[in-house]
Amino acid sequence: MARKPRQPSGLHPLGFVPLVKPLLKVRKKIRTLSTEEYSLLHAVDFRHRLETSILPALWAGKTVLADRYLFTALARDAARGLELDWLLHAYSPLLWPDLVIYFSMTPEDSQRRIASTRSPRYYEAGQDITGIDDPLASYGRFIDRVVTEYENLAVVFKFVTVDAGEAVYRQHTQVRELVKSTNKRPWPVFSKDAVEEWLRTPKAQRA
Amino acid sequence: MAPNTQSPARLIAIDGSRGADVAKSADRLAAVLRKRGVACVISRWDASGLFGELAQTGERIAASPRTLSLVYAADLAFRLRWEIRTALAAGEVVIAAPYVETAVAFGTGCGLPQQWLRELLRFAPQADVQGLARERKLGRTWKPRLDRGYPEYCAALFARSAPRLLSKKPRPAVIATLEEARGRRVFQLSGTGIEKAAKSVTGTLPDASSPRSSRPRTARK
Repeated sequence: MARKPRQPSGLHPLGFVPLVKPLLKVRKKIRTLSTEEYSLLHAVDFRHRLETSILPALWAGKTVLADRYLFTALARDAARGLELDWLLHAYSPLLWPDLVIYFSMTPEDSQRRIASTRSPRYYEAGQDITGIDDPLASYGRFIDRVVTEYENLAVVFKFVTVDAGEAVYRQHTQVRELVKSTNKRPWPVFSKDAVEEWLRTPKAQRA
Repeated sequence: MAPNTQSPARLIAIDGSRGADVAKSADRLAAVLRKRGVACVISRWDASGLFGELAQTGERIAASPRTLSLVYAADLAFRLRWEIRTALAAGEVVIAAPYVETAVAFGTGCGLPQQWLRELLRFAPQADVQGLARERKLGRTWKPRLDRGYPEYCAALFARSAPRLLSKKPRPAVIATLEEARGRRVFQLSGTGIEKAAKSVTGTLPDASSPRSSRPRTARK
């Protein structure tokens, strides 16, 4: 099977140049991030991605598939013990997606899947908060909290849940149908503040 | 926050609209405190190196005031963890220059909601004493410089994309927001203000030389 050519590092399908990703990567490697710093640096990355990549594409009439959006950060950071209220505030003003698809999986399945391919990295395994030396054991405990947070968020924010344990073909069919049947959320109702602020930002800061 | 009279640890916040003024005021206050025999440390902007590293990426940075406020919050989280809380735990006096108010005033000057900024930075503990740096060169706006302070850094970034920010209007607005801070423990660090601020710190420190009463106030049975 022919392999998909790799994206040159630092580039993004939407032509986005990550602002803090290289900085974040170094700090993750040397394990110096506190819970707040970890969360805030991801919030910087998200805000920059939103302003320079997602919103311009949407404004140009494109459809944006965000392979992980705000809710991943909310679940992960809430699992680290940060208050959801503060997190929502840090990420505001929010641009609500038209559709949120949540690929649900039990913590056990998630742990089994990751164990079959590689050892989870330090922050991915939540070792910064569990204090467990074994990455896989730490991941098992941490993912349990993350899944709980995801499930709470799924109820509050009305995610559409897809069973990630199903065959890929079935998931794919389901996702296509969901996208086809989803109505656009009108910006003035759901994301007025985010869009207005972005439009007020000088053009050079948006691209 | 009521000063804890049992521990000598105190947090002094110094804020201002220009990085150079904030740094100078912090140095002067530290010198006065040291003269009075109080050991103190200064926590400065960009101790985390985030802003410096961003400037070194070589790319023309396209960042909005909101994005930069988040970077400021991340830098402050770093300073709290590695400098401020560590020194406070060791019983030292810490001068945080700048602290929360600089980011709030500057962000507000850039059009961000003040409440958003305050909520974002709510993880930072309230300072025991707050100082406002002596503002110099009042008629001038910020010099775009990446190494001087947060407002100057932002000015350097916005020089091309948002030159309006470099006009003369925003700085007085930022100073006005800073001066909204009122209270017994807020000091203007100009003239005798430095001495008063230092006195307010030393005046609440536990005095090891004063003899403690050996007898309880009420007689025990």
